[in-house]
Amino acid sequence: MSATSRYATRTPARGGRRAIALGPGLAALGVLLAVVAFLSITMGSRSIGLSEVLRALGNLDTDGSITSTVTLELRVPRTLLGILVGAALGVAGAILQGVTRNPLADAGFMGINSGAAAFVVVAVTVLGVRGVGVYIWFAFAGAIAALALVYAIASLGREGATPVKLALAGAAVTAGLVSVTTGIVMTNVDALNELRFWQVGSLAGRYTPVLTGVAPFLLLGLAASLGFGRALNGLALGEDTARGLGQHVTRTRAAAFAVVALLAGAATAACGPIIFVGLVVPHLARLLCGPDYRWILPYSMVLAPIVLLLADVLGRVAAAPDELQVGVVLGVIGAPAFVAIVRYSRLSEV
Amino acid sequence: MRAWRPILAVTALSVVLAGCGGRSDTGETPAAADGPWSFTDGSGQVVKADKIPTRIIAHAGEAAALMSFGIKPVGIYSDEPVKTDPNLRNLDLTGIEILGEEWGKINVEKAAALRPDLIVGDWWPAEKAHSGMEEGVDAQSKKLAELAPVAGVTQGKSIVALAEGYEDLAESLGADVDKPEIAANKTRFEEAVTAFKAATAGKPGLTVAAMSPADDKMYVANPEYAPELLDLQSWGLKVINPGSPDPGFPYWENLSWENADKYQPDLILWDGRSFTPTANAEWGGKQPTWFKIKAAKAGAAVSWPAFWLHTYGDFAIELNKLTEAVKAADPNVGN
Repeated sequence: MSATSRYATRTPARGGRRAIALGPGLAALGVLLAVVAFLSITMGSRSIGLSEVLRALGNLDTDGSITSTVTLELRVPRTLLGILVGAALGVAGAILQGVTRNPLADAGFMGINSGAAAFVVVAVTVLGVRGVGVYIWFAFAGAIAALALVYAIASLGREGATPVKLALAGAAVTAGLVSVTTGIVMTNVDALNELRFWQVGSLAGRYTPVLTGVAPFLLLGLAASLGFGRALNGLALGEDTARGLGQHVTRTRAAAFAVVALLAGAATAACGPIIFVGLVVPHLARLLCGPDYRWILPYSMVLAPIVLLLADVLGRVAAAPDELQVGVVLGVIGAPAFVAIVRYSRLSEV
Repeated sequence: MRAWRPILAVTALSVVLAGCGGRSDTGETPAAADGPWSFTDGSGQVVKADKIPTRIIAHAGEAAALMSFGIKPVGIYSDEPVKTDPNLRNLDLTGIEILGEEWGKINVEKAAALRPDLIVGDWWPAEKAHSGMEEGVDAQSKKLAELAPVAGVTQGKSIVALAEGYEDLAESLGADVDKPEIAANKTRFEEAVTAFKAATAGKPGLTVAAMSPADDKMYVANPEYAPELLDLQSWGLKVINPGSPDPGFPYWENLSWENADKYQPDLILWDGRSFTPTANAEWGGKQPTWFKIKAAKAGAAVSWPAFWLHTYGDFAIELNKLTEAVKAADPNVGN
């Protein structure tokens, strides 16, 4: 049996069978996320007994003991931030991969990380900004500016922001911004120090102010993202077909980029450039639920925080009393995971 | 044009060299004897020269040490801008060529034009290299070592030993270390040590920890790798030795913010590179667990001159500040 005929006969049947299981599957992943979140609150670089954690959670107000401070002021905001940021990166990656039809697309690919980094170092050097609570806003602005620039450059010309032009514009803008950042960091120790902290990608040291600062943007973006399933399915058939089906391709693309800017911009601002989540999780989701973006998006939204929080818990427990940044853990386990996915799945079918 | 640059540089350099060739004998530095000169480097090797070196290029703190004995280098390379480098910020650097103001970046072309006959940099026993030639320094910058012999005192267990080493080096280079205004620094330092010892003897129960808070975690210094802390310990100050320093970078024990309260000193020696009078209150505001260190909550923190001291004079100033802090400290805060 040839490959094409196997496709033709199997895909619809599998898709149909899958759709029935996908709803409960998503619910099961939701439960798994709750379990992982519970782990993230009860485990960490400090060993705190389960009963003490539960007591602190029951009081909901710190009684001044370090166990309740650690639980309520460190772990709870960290976990909530991990859930939101993970979901945002997962969904942003899925949307970008769909809209650019590029299996390697993620936030870093579109200039978001480099834009945020460039604005951070400019804020530190020119405006004298210090501390993560302040410069997340510069990072956010930088991410949005970079993404807007990539989109604007790619939109030049009659055919609009095609996948190839987006990829090229992303690479060009990234290169330009990276050289600006490097140039500043080479001559300014303060900028280097601030950037070094931010650039690893970490959930540590971000507390309630950072969480409440970015949460509205992330929640808004997550809600909006779920409306893109059908449009991305159309785009996956190719632009001409999508147009033929009555889709307004340019408008879809612009709206998708706006949502990605919100999600990936706020997430990257809050935690630094966290790698692999946005790249790998959409592929995992695709592996589980096939090519239908109406499922890929919610699956990415739930899978990504599971991956992010598990990696974070691992980094906190493995290195106690120190901690490994989640960006480092993801780099170490993410690379082999991606290789495995490439090896065992049909990655190019975006 | 690009292809020509190396050739032009070489030509320019040889013109400079030819033009200045005869001048080194005119006696810029009064030397008791012209030579031969030798000095036992921190690496254990004996560095030799036919004549006493007079055109010295030195790393920042080492330059400050030599200058405190009246030996003025012709060039300096530092790890940060000379305006902020704690060793250099109060020195008159007129007439000295600045060859680099960032770690690992030295302008060797400029250095060559100075025709140095000695490079002075601390010897780092753990890295087996002199300052400016360590692992990670630009390959281009490392070529500094090819311009002249390199000598320095070993970094390691004591700032006093370091200061004494540079006193010896300066003396070998012709400095009159007994000159009253030069010797005064050492006297001030010895007085400061006496006062410090008296202060610690008066507070036998006082413990301190050297700390450096950062946004994502906090660091507790390991005195084993901080010579000034070893000196303070030898003068009776109980500096806490952290139990599990980072094996890959044993200068510190890294603690997550969840474990900020692992050590409870009575007084915090705060990394001088980030200390400000308002730092303690700021960190208490932004790190929920910083004030779980009782000394931090009580505001018991003093700047610790971390990893830069080279001279008797600087050490005396810093030591006097520490003496005041020890006298003012409550030895029961951390209990």
